[in-house]
Amino acid sequence: MQFALILLLLLVLACAGGSFITQGQTYEWYAAQYSERAAGAIIALGLDHVYQCWWFVAITAFLCLNLIACNLVRLPSLLKRYRQAGEAERYVHTAGAVSAEEPLDEEQARKVFSDLGFRQITQGEGFLFAARNRAGFWGAWVCHLGILILIIGFGFGQMAKETYMVYGLPGQSKAIGDTSYILTIDDFSIGLREDDTVEQYTSRLTVHNASDGTSQSAEASVNAPADMYGMRFYQNSTGWAARVNITENGEPLQSEVICVGEYVSVEDKPDLVVYLNAFYPDYYLDPGQGPMSLSSKINNPAYLYSVFYMGQMLGMNALLETEELTIDEYTVTFSEPQNFTIIQIKKDPFTFLALIGGLVTLLGLVLAFYIQYSAVWAVEENGKWTMHGTSPKGGVLFRDRFLRAVTGKEQEN
Amino acid sequence: MGKEQLLSLENNLFTITMLLYFAAMVLYFIFFAMKKENMAKIGNRLLLVGFILHSIALIARGIGAGRLPMTNQYEFATSFAWGLCLVLLVFIHRYHFQALGTFATPVMFLIIGYAAMQNKDVRELMPALRSNWLGFHVSTAIIAYGAFGVSFAVSLMFLIRDKMSDTAFMTRHIPPKENLDMISYRAVSLGLLFLSFTIITGAIWAERAWGSYWSWDPKETWSLVTWLIYALYLHLRIRRDWHGRSAAIFAVIGFIAVIFTYIGVNTFLPGIHSYA
Ligand code: HEM
Repeated sequence: MQFALILLLLLVLACAGGSFITQGQTYEWYAAQYSERAAGAIIALGLDHVYQCWWFVAITAFLCLNLIACNLVRLPSLLKRYRQAGEAERYVHTAGAVSAEEPLDEEQARKVFSDLGFRQITQGEGFLFAARNRAGFWGAWVCHLGILILIIGFGFGQMAKETYMVYGLPGQSKAIGDTSYILTIDDFSIGLREDDTVEQYTSRLTVHNASDGTSQSAEASVNAPADMYGMRFYQNSTGWAARVNITENGEPLQSEVICVGEYVSVEDKPDLVVYLNAFYPDYYLDPGQGPMSLSSKINNPAYLYSVFYMGQMLGMNALLETEELTIDEYTVTFSEPQNFTIIQIKKDPFTFLALIGGLVTLLGLVLAFYIQYSAVWAVEENGKWTMHGTSPKGGVLFRDRFLRAVTGKEQEN
Repeated sequence: MGKEQLLSLENNLFTITMLLYFAAMVLYFIFFAMKKENMAKIGNRLLLVGFILHSIALIARGIGAGRLPMTNQYEFATSFAWGLCLVLLVFIHRYHFQALGTFATPVMFLIIGYAAMQNKDVRELMPALRSNWLGFHVSTAIIAYGAFGVSFAVSLMFLIRDKMSDTAFMTRHIPPKENLDMISYRAVSLGLLFLSFTIITGAIWAERAWGSYWSWDPKETWSLVTWLIYALYLHLRIRRDWHGRSAAIFAVIGFIAVIFTYIGVNTFLPGIHSYA
């Protein structure tokens, strides 16, 4: 068990250490934050991704091996102890961990049993015996098994898990990564409270399986993901989209809705590109901080765009809804700001295993802590009964309770 | 009663509770320093009255806010003090152990004092926080933290008793080391069981709200650190040769980790838990 203690201590140090160093940054980032030498050490030791790096995985793997070995080694003796703990013959010829000094009469002895919570009493030749909570012997064993299942479920999940992000506007359909599934956003709504704070985001989704032509629909909102085709769909977040209108010499040329972060190419001049950088629903140009939004309500919408020609940026600016951007014969305007939805899709077939591991661990802890084995027996000599008791984990607290129950009866004498 | 009235009732009851806890702490000190038994008895009564008023305060806030009163730093702090008071009262009663009050009430008073310094506004919940799992998550955390608080107090007593000679006063008011070790073990057991519930319900909630049941967010990581420290405590206790002292030291370190998880992580480390 010494090795297990060292492993647990190492895990504590690794976890705590990892939480103080921002994870997943680059060498340059750490060099700027600390120093070049520190950054070199952080990268070399894997401290930039503590929880995935080889030595952390190795400690965890050793812990698992240790748990397996420990549970296997202890199984036969546990079974034996479990069986024997109910056998009166094993106890009644010996003194208990605690024994009463004064003998009692039979009625009092039986009362001590019931005072200590023992219902079923075995009566034998010159003795009374009761044992309870034998299941408690299994506590640590079950707890260790649970931890093992949990770690295995988590580890496999990390390896097998697939996640995708899909964003879009109501009516749009998009492929889910490289799978054969297509996600259609049927509807997206934002529920507001009276004070304009957001109560809930909800997307209505349909998934179409291109390989067999079937489809399923469901609703996903924050805290209530949708399950379809073995995947889980989460309402992850939202962002802004807007309509871009382009005219050529005053004649409408094209009009389409794009999300922030997307661009349109002008139809008859594809090298000319308009990119939507950001949207400000309540635009304000702060002299110090630059463009910002005063609220999330659409009061004074403005669109931050940039224009590229043949890959070269021509300019970047914010455009109000009433304003126009003119590039040669083309005129660009923005309108109809609207929210798009971001859906996260996850497939982790091992989540259930981790959950089972967690529940088994809990069961083990309940058994270890709250189902504590104890046995009490009374041995007769000349019509008087001497009480004995034992509770390996009850320690002095069991002893005190036992003695209180017994002396209570002694004092009645 | 309207929302405003309920919240102002809560506000008043909170202040009275804090005063009662303070008075209880002072009486417990007098009891301990001057061997006045009945001071402990009165202290215990005040603690009980404080606890009842505190419970009413939390219910009033819950009804006033229309949700469980456990979602921001103030609410969690006041609930934490409530949980500690609950576990403390149970342990004092169950183990006939008044001196525990002397060591645990200061911790309780510090926590409720911390609560008093927080912003008490009732704010609407962001969608990710609107979950029943949050209720299970936080209410189990309160009991866990309360139990760890008690084990901290008992372990401190153990370490003091370990260092000091056995004067008549000591033997009269502080149970023998063996008993302290067992009582601390009972408190850690309760705490660890509830902390496990907290972590598991938190993982289920995170899975539903963020799509990942464990993301090594600093608060998650520190709850694991705390869990592992108490696992170490349990294993140290089993070893006969290490029994007692080193386990008691780990119970103290464990509670420091609890406090760090609760306050330090929000203050020093960034993460998605930063609103709670
Ligand atoms: C994260 C890791 C671990 C946790 C949370 C854990 C938890 C526990 C718990 C709760 C108990 C019961 C203690 C009690 O009832 O007072 C226990 C006992 C025990 N553990 Fe672990 N354990 C862990 C790792 C290990 C490992 C790796 C070993 C491997 C040797 C181990 C060996 C034991 C032994 C021998 C006992 C004594 C059982 C008894 O007396 O019935 N533990 N552990």
